[in-house]
This record gives sequence, structure tokens and C-alpha cells, in this order.
Amino acid sequence: MRQLIAFTKKEFLEQCRTGKLLLFVIIFALFGIMNPAIAKLTPWMMDMMSEQFAESGMQIMAVEVDALTSWAQFYKNMPMALIILLILFCGIFTTEYHKGTLINVVTKGMKRWKIFIAKLGVMVIVWTLGFLMSYGITYAYNAYFWDNSVAHNIAAAAGCFYLLGLWLISVLGMASVFCNSAGSVMLVVGAAFAVSYLLSLFPAVKEYMPSYLLQSTGLLAGLSEGADFLWAAAVTAMLIVSGCMISVTMFNKKNL
Amino acid sequence: MDILEISHVSKSFGSNKVIDDLSFSVPEHSVFGFIGKNGAGKTTTMKMVLGLLKADEGEIFVNGEKVSFGQNHTNRFIGYLPDVPEFYGFMTPMEYLMMCGEITGMPGKQVKEKSAELLQLVGLAEAKKRIRGFSRGMKQRMGIAQALLNSPRLLICDEPTSALDPIGRKEILDILHSVKKHTTVIFSTHILSDVERICDRIAFLHEGSSVRSRTLEEIRGIRRGDGIVVEFLKQEEASHFLELYGDGAQGEGTMVTVYDRAGNAMDRIMEVLLYNHISVQRIERLEPTLEDLFLEVAAK
Repeated sequence: MRQLIAFTKKEFLEQCRTGKLLLFVIIFALFGIMNPAIAKLTPWMMDMMSEQFAESGMQIMAVEVDALTSWAQFYKNMPMALIILLILFCGIFTTEYHKGTLINVVTKGMKRWKIFIAKLGVMVIVWTLGFLMSYGITYAYNAYFWDNSVAHNIAAAAGCFYLLGLWLISVLGMASVFCNSAGSVMLVVGAAFAVSYLLSLFPAVKEYMPSYLLQSTGLLAGLSEGADFLWAAAVTAMLIVSGCMISVTMFNKKNL
Repeated sequence: MDILEISHVSKSFGSNKVIDDLSFSVPEHSVFGFIGKNGAGKTTTMKMVLGLLKADEGEIFVNGEKVSFGQNHTNRFIGYLPDVPEFYGFMTPMEYLMMCGEITGMPGKQVKEKSAELLQLVGLAEAKKRIRGFSRGMKQRMGIAQALLNSPRLLICDEPTSALDPIGRKEILDILHSVKKHTTVIFSTHILSDVERICDRIAFLHEGSSVRSRTLEEIRGIRRGDGIVVEFLKQEEASHFLELYGDGAQGEGTMVTVYDRAGNAMDRIMEVLLYNHISVQRIERLEPTLEDLFLEVAAK
């Protein structure tokens, strides 16, 4: 346990001292504030542009915004935040392979699986706290400006997207065990999502794909129910667990 | 007892056979020089001992326990200094050693004391800045400190001196020499004079297989036929010296090479120069190339 704590401490120190942690705080805070802000500003922007629209023959009626508009923004912005997080973390293993810094640690008797778990843990913690921060900020502003009760299943919808993030982080971890460059790690993560997305074009398997979790925005408007996403969530959870197991096994045999 | 035993180990990368049926052993409490040219397979051998590379054939034992690839338990006996040691640049030396101590499972108080002691030993006690700003020599010394942290039975150093200036080299060799009492040191190099300075046993690695290990005295015995080069300022002085010195000297331009067969050539050269008031540019003992020495050792 001491090994795991020591290495996790090192990972956090790295995130702090290289300024990444600050960057994450700024990004997730910004993405949290932007959602209600954009919703709040929409009527004003529409009003500003109404003259231009009028010239082209369009007429803007009074634009209604509520918490749902803000939540819709949330699900447009969070994928961006997730992509930034994945890009910033795609070298978390490969930089150490290149520099050879893990060799020192391993020859000190560090269990390899602990290295993997520590790194994965840091990514999961950053994602969890970052997501909660964005979610919390958006939720609080929505409650202040409007009323969150117009949106249904807010937590379930957020949980679906959070789970998708966890899956992509686990794919990033697994790709890092097999690939030696940050670029190829990112490529594998992108490819994994693309495969899931393409497969979900087939109605028969659609509901079992991790990318189906993106449809969870339907929950908010009451268009779908939480139970609709159970299969996708279960498959994703299984993929995460089995991916981690494969990664740990392969990492034990990796040439560092 | 042998702290390290390598028996019939082979390793290929693709079709390139880097190590071919290599066998040797290292007795405890010695400084063991592992000599070979660049690309002879020194680093590969060391990485196999550490379980970082998988040997295709053969077995390696550290302190009597078999080395396994990947999660290697024998690493608890070993301290390792890689050829280009890299550390986490965002940490200070003390922080890095503390982390290493926690990984090896040393008690907290002991880690602190030992880290301070080692930083003193390698001359980094005053370095409070982060490792990112360290020079090559400082990193090398930092590497020794981290390798010695868990008081290993076996210290493996991969070319610890090759990229350093003469002063840096001497410092590193002095440190290695000073830890000999508690630890067996194996260090690889392609610089013969480093080996002569501190090693008491030597193994030559040539094209992936070693010639049996020898003591330094045996090597010295083989090396007695070295040459001495004397460079003069003018060509006339060189030819004058040649006439005076007589047998065993060959001249070319301002350079004269003397082969030291009897072992007293240096004295004789000095004598001739002093009594005849001839000044010189330089006098230098010729270092045999690794190739020459290997062939000599192999032939005996």
C-alpha cells in the first residue's frame, strides 16, 4: 500500500508542478460557468441579431430559456472538456517510457500493477472531480436563475456521460500499455470511440454500445428513461473492468 | 559465494544475436569491471539481470535466486544506475530519494537519514533545486545515491563514467570505490583506465560472449608490452634522440615510439632526455585498444 501511495503522491505532485492540475481546474470551471452563461445570454444575443434576421425575412419571437437550455449546453461542452483531458493525459505513460524514468522505479522493487493503478487512479480522480465541478457549477447556476425541476433525471444523465469518460480513460490506459508514443495512444482512443459509434448505427446492437450513453440527454426532456441505458452502462462497466485486467497483465510483461 | 551467476545466456533482437552463450559469475565484495566496445551487449546483459529484458536461453541467479522477467523479485538485492539516468525533473533530490525509500519499504525515519547521508556522500547535499536543472554529472551522482538507497547487495552501474569529464569521472570512481566494503559493484565501461583504477576482477565481453573473467593482476601482466610515445618540438631532436636511445625505438617525423619490453623504458627515456638537454612536447604511455587487449587476453 505504501508503494501505491508513494507513486500516487508522485503523480499528483507532477500534475501540480507541471501546471496541469491548475489547467484542469480552469477548464472544468470555465465549462461549468459557460453553460448557464450561454443560456442566459441567448435571448440577449437573439435580440441583438434580430434586425439582421429581419432583413433576411426571419422574425425572432421571444426566446424562452430555462434550466433545460443550460443542461443542453452542458452536454455540448462536456465532450470538449473530456477530449482536452484525454489529450493532456495521453502521454502519462509514454513520456516515462521515453525517458526511462520507470526503470528506476521498477528496479527499486515497485510492483508494476501499482504503477498502472496509480496512473489510472490519478486520471479517474481528475475526471471525477473535474466533472463534479462542472456539474456542480452548472447545477447551482441553473437553480439560481431558473428551476432545475423542469429537467428530469439530471443525475442519471450525468452519470451516463461520466461513465463514458471512465471508459475512454480505461482505453487510454490500455493503449498506453501497448503503444510507445502519445500519438498512437490518442489514435487508439479515437479509434475505440469510432468503432463504438459506427457499431451503434446498427439498431440491433445500438443499445449495448458505450457511445449510446451520449444519448442520455434524452433523459432530461423525459424522452427516455434511465432503464433504457442500463445495457449500455453494464457493457461499458464490463469493458472497463476487463480492459484494466488485460492492461495489468500485459504491463507486467512490457519491456520498459 | 557468488552474488551474481550468469549461465549460458543468449539474447537476440530479431535476427541480430546480441548475446551468445554468455557465462560468468561475480564473487561477493568485489568491484567487477565489465568491459566491451559500444554495442558489445553490456547494457543488454545488465537489463536481463534486472529482469527488464527476457533472456532467450539460459539462466541468471542473483544471490542464489533465479531472475524472472517482468515482476522480478531479485531486484530487492540490486541497486541499478542506468547509463543515462533520468529522474522526475519536477522533484528535488530529497523528494526523489524519499519516494524511492517508500517504494522499497524502508521505515520513514530511516529513509530520511539514509537519504541525507547519501546526498552527502555524492556531494548533492547542498543542491536544493529541482532535478530538471541538473547537469549530466549531477544526475550521474544522483543516480548513485538512488541506487545505494536500499543498501543493495549488488550495485550495477551501466557506463557510469563514459559521458563525464576527467574530474567528474574521478569523483564517480571514488564514490564507487568507497562503497565496496558493503556492496558488490559491477560496472560496465569501454574505458580501460577506469577499470584499472578501481576494479579487482574484469570480464571482457566481445561480440556477445565473454572471455573468462580475470583479476586485475593477470590483466596487468598481459599488458606489460605497452608503448610510449615521445613527441619532440623539432625533427632533428627526434632523430638525435633515436641515435642516443638505440634499440627499441622507432621514429616518424617529430614522434618517436618506444616499446617497453623490459619494463624500464620510461626511466631510460627520461635519462636520455635529461642528460642530453632535449626538451619534448609530450610523453605519453600508449593505451592499448580494447580490441588489442581482448585479442591478447583471448590468446592466453
